[in-house]
Amino acid sequence: MTTGPVRPTLEETPSFLKAEHISVRYGETVALNDVTLHIPTNRVTVLIGPSGCGKSTTLRCINALVKTSSGHIDYGDASIQAMSETDLRRNMGYAIQSVGLMPHMTVEENVDLVPRLLGWKRAERAERVSRLLKLVRLDPQVYRNKYPHELSGGEAQRVGVARALGADPPVLLMDEPFGAVDPLTREQLQDEFIRIQRQLKKTVVFVTHDIDEAVRLADYLIIMKDGMIVQADTPEQILAAPANEFVERFLGPDRSLKRLSLFTADHCCLERVVSGTGKPSETQLPKGSNRCYWQVDADGKPIMGYTWIHNRIIERPITSSTHTVQPYSSMKECMSAILGLGMPATAVVDDDGRLYGEVRFETIQTISLS
Amino acid sequence: METERTVQELVLPMGANVGQFESRLNFHRKLAAIVLLVFAVSFFLPFFFARENRISAEIPGRISALALLPTLLLLLPPTMILLYALMRNSRRSEWLLSFAGALGLLAPLAVLAYVGPQVVSTLGPFARYSPGSGMYLYVTAVAIVYLMKARIRIGDYIGLAVALAVVLALGYQGSFDRLGILLEARNFGTRLSREITAHIRITGISIGISVLVGIPLALVTFQSRRMRKLVFPLLNVLQTIPGIALFGLLIAPLAALSQAFPQLREWGIKGIGNTPAIIALSMYAIYPIIRYSFTAISSIDASVVLAAQGMGMSSGQVWRIVRLPLATPGILHGVRVALVQTIGNATLAKLIGGDGLGVLVFEGLGQASVDMVLLGMLLIIALTVAADRIFQILITVLTPVSLRREGV
Repeated sequence: MTTGPVRPTLEETPSFLKAEHISVRYGETVALNDVTLHIPTNRVTVLIGPSGCGKSTTLRCINALVKTSSGHIDYGDASIQAMSETDLRRNMGYAIQSVGLMPHMTVEENVDLVPRLLGWKRAERAERVSRLLKLVRLDPQVYRNKYPHELSGGEAQRVGVARALGADPPVLLMDEPFGAVDPLTREQLQDEFIRIQRQLKKTVVFVTHDIDEAVRLADYLIIMKDGMIVQADTPEQILAAPANEFVERFLGPDRSLKRLSLFTADHCCLERVVSGTGKPSETQLPKGSNRCYWQVDADGKPIMGYTWIHNRIIERPITSSTHTVQPYSSMKECMSAILGLGMPATAVVDDDGRLYGEVRFETIQTISLS
Repeated sequence: METERTVQELVLPMGANVGQFESRLNFHRKLAAIVLLVFAVSFFLPFFFARENRISAEIPGRISALALLPTLLLLLPPTMILLYALMRNSRRSEWLLSFAGALGLLAPLAVLAYVGPQVVSTLGPFARYSPGSGMYLYVTAVAIVYLMKARIRIGDYIGLAVALAVVLALGYQGSFDRLGILLEARNFGTRLSREITAHIRITGISIGISVLVGIPLALVTFQSRRMRKLVFPLLNVLQTIPGIALFGLLIAPLAALSQAFPQLREWGIKGIGNTPAIIALSMYAIYPIIRYSFTAISSIDASVVLAAQGMGMSSGQVWRIVRLPLATPGILHGVRVALVQTIGNATLAKLIGGDGLGVLVFEGLGQASVDMVLLGMLLIIALTVAADRIFQILITVLTPVSLRREGV
C-alpha cells in the first residue's frame, strides 16, 4: 500500500489556502501525520475517510481550533499561526454536524452573530440576514424570530449554513453539516448546497463520511486514513482509478455505478432518435439490437419503444416516469431507466415530457470504460 | 380501604367503563377515599391542647368535647367529599371540592375561636391552648382536597380570601388571644420583629458573601483542571463537618484574631456573635452555589461552544455571549438552594451568641415552651417559603425566553 503525502492535482486551479506538511500529535497519538494539502479556490474540496482518519482534525487545523504540532498552513500570503485566531475564524464560515445554534438566540440573532462580531452596521445586518435566509430557502418573515428549539433538524441545518455564510467569508468549513438529518432531508440539503455553491463560488472544505455525498458534492476529493492522505484527485479520477485496495474498498463495490452518477445525459451520451406517431414498419426500425424506434403521441411524448431482439421486433410501453430520463439526469439514472424499460436505450424527454433524444446502453458502457 | 370499595361498587359496576375519562374518575374516587380516611383519623386524635399556664402539662381536647355546632361544621367538608365521590364527574362536583376546601379552612378556625373562651372559663385566666395533631391532620386533608382539583379557580381564591378575612375578624375581636403562639409573639413584642430582621440580615450577608466568592470560583474551577482537583475535595470535606461543630470551631481562631487586633472588635469581628455565624453560614452556602454553577456551565452543549469559537468569538465573548446567559438559570438555582438552606441553618447562630429566629427556638427549648419553639419554627418556614417564591420569580425573569419552556 502506498501512502504518505500525495501532491494534489487540479494544478490549474489556484489555491490561497495551503497546508504544508502539517502534523498533529496528542502525546503519543498521532492524529495527523505530515499532511500537505492545497485547497483549490472557489471549488468544493471534500475530505472523507473512516472515523479517526483525521478529516475533522484537518478542518479544525484550518481555523486554528486545533493547533498543529509541526508544519504550517498559509492563508493568502501569511501563515495562519501568525494571524489572530478570532480574525482568521471570522473570515471562515464554520458549520458543524450538531449545528450548535445558540439556544437562547433567535434565528436572526444566530445568523447575525459574525456580522455583529465584525461590527457591521445594524441596517446592513438586518438586510444581510434576510438575504441569507432567502438563500437557504427559509422565509425571513416566518423564521426570523423563531428559536432553535422550534426548528426541525433540516431547518436548523439551513440556519447553520446561513450563519456560516453570515459575513460573506471567502472560505467555508463544513464538518458533516448534513450528518444529523434523515436521508431525504439530507438529499434536499445537498441539492440546496449545490445550488448555493454555483451561485456563490466559495472555497469550501467539506468533511463527510458518506461516500455518495462526497462524490456528489466534490470538485476535489481527498481520501484519508490514519491521519494521512491516501488519494487526492477529482472524484471521476478516483472512481476510475483508485490508488490502492483501501480506496477501492472504501468506494464500495458499486463504484462504477457511482462514477456514472457524475455524468449527465446531455453531457456525453445524448443521441438523436428515430421516432414517429405510428407503429414502425420493419424498414423504419433501425437495424441492430442497440437502437430503438420511439412512437410518440400528438404532443410528442413517447408512448412506446420498439427494437430488434433476436430478429424479432420487441415493443415496450412507456408507462412510468422512471422509464424515461431528462437531459440533466445522471448516467446512473439512465442505466436505471434502461433496465426498467427492458430496452437497449431509454428515451430522453424535456421538461414538458416531449421526446428529445435517447441514451444507449452501449454508449454508457463505452464511457464507463474510458 | 373500606370506603373506596363501597364507593366503587355504588357508582362504578365492575368492568363498566375503561375509557381514559373513567380512569381519571376512578383515580379521583381513590383520592377522595384517602381524604375521607385522613379526615376520619383526625377525628380520633387530640384536636387541640389546653394548658392551665405556660409550663403546666397539656390537656388533650377531642372533637367529642366540642358542642354540636362546631362538630357539625367540622363534619361538613368530609360529607361533601363523600358526595363528590358518589357523583359523576362534572362541573358541579368540581364546585363541591371548592366548597369543601373553603369550609375545611374555615371550620378549624371556627373551632379555635370557639375553644378559646371555653378554655379560659374552665382553666382560669392564665389558660392557653394550641392546635393538636388532629387539627393538623384535618388541615392536611383539606390540602389534599385542593390538590384534587383539576385547576384552582376564582372561586377558590374567594374561598381563601373569605377564610383569611374570617381569621382577621376573629383575631381583631380577640377570639385567638389565648392561642399559645400568639401569646408568645405578644410577649416578645418588638424583639420579635428585631429577630426576624436579624435573621434576614444574617442570611442575606452570608448568601451575598458566598455568591461573590462562589460564582467566580466556579468559573475559575471550570477553566482550570488543577483548581477542580483542589476545590471539590475541599468543599466535600467542608460539607461533612456538622453545622454546630463548624460554628464552634470558628470561635477559637476568631477570638484569637480579635484579641490580637482589637481594631477588628470594633467592626464586630469576635469569637462569638454574628460574625462567626455569618462566616460559617457562607462556608456552607458556597457548596451548592459552586456545585450548581459548575454543573450549569459544564452542561452547556459542547457544540454550541465549539460553534461560538469556530465563528471567531474571543474567550471573553464566549463567556459573555454564550456561557453565562445559558448558565444563568442553573446558577440561580444554586443560589436558591443555598438561600433556603441558609435560612434554616441561620437558626444555629443563636448557639454562638448570634441573633435571629434561633433565639426563639433555643430559648423556647430552654424554657420547655413548645409554643415559643413553634412560633420560631413557623416564622422560619414562612421566611423560607417566601424567599423560595421570590427567587422562583427572579429565576423565571432572568432565564432567556427560549429556555423557559424547559421548566424552572
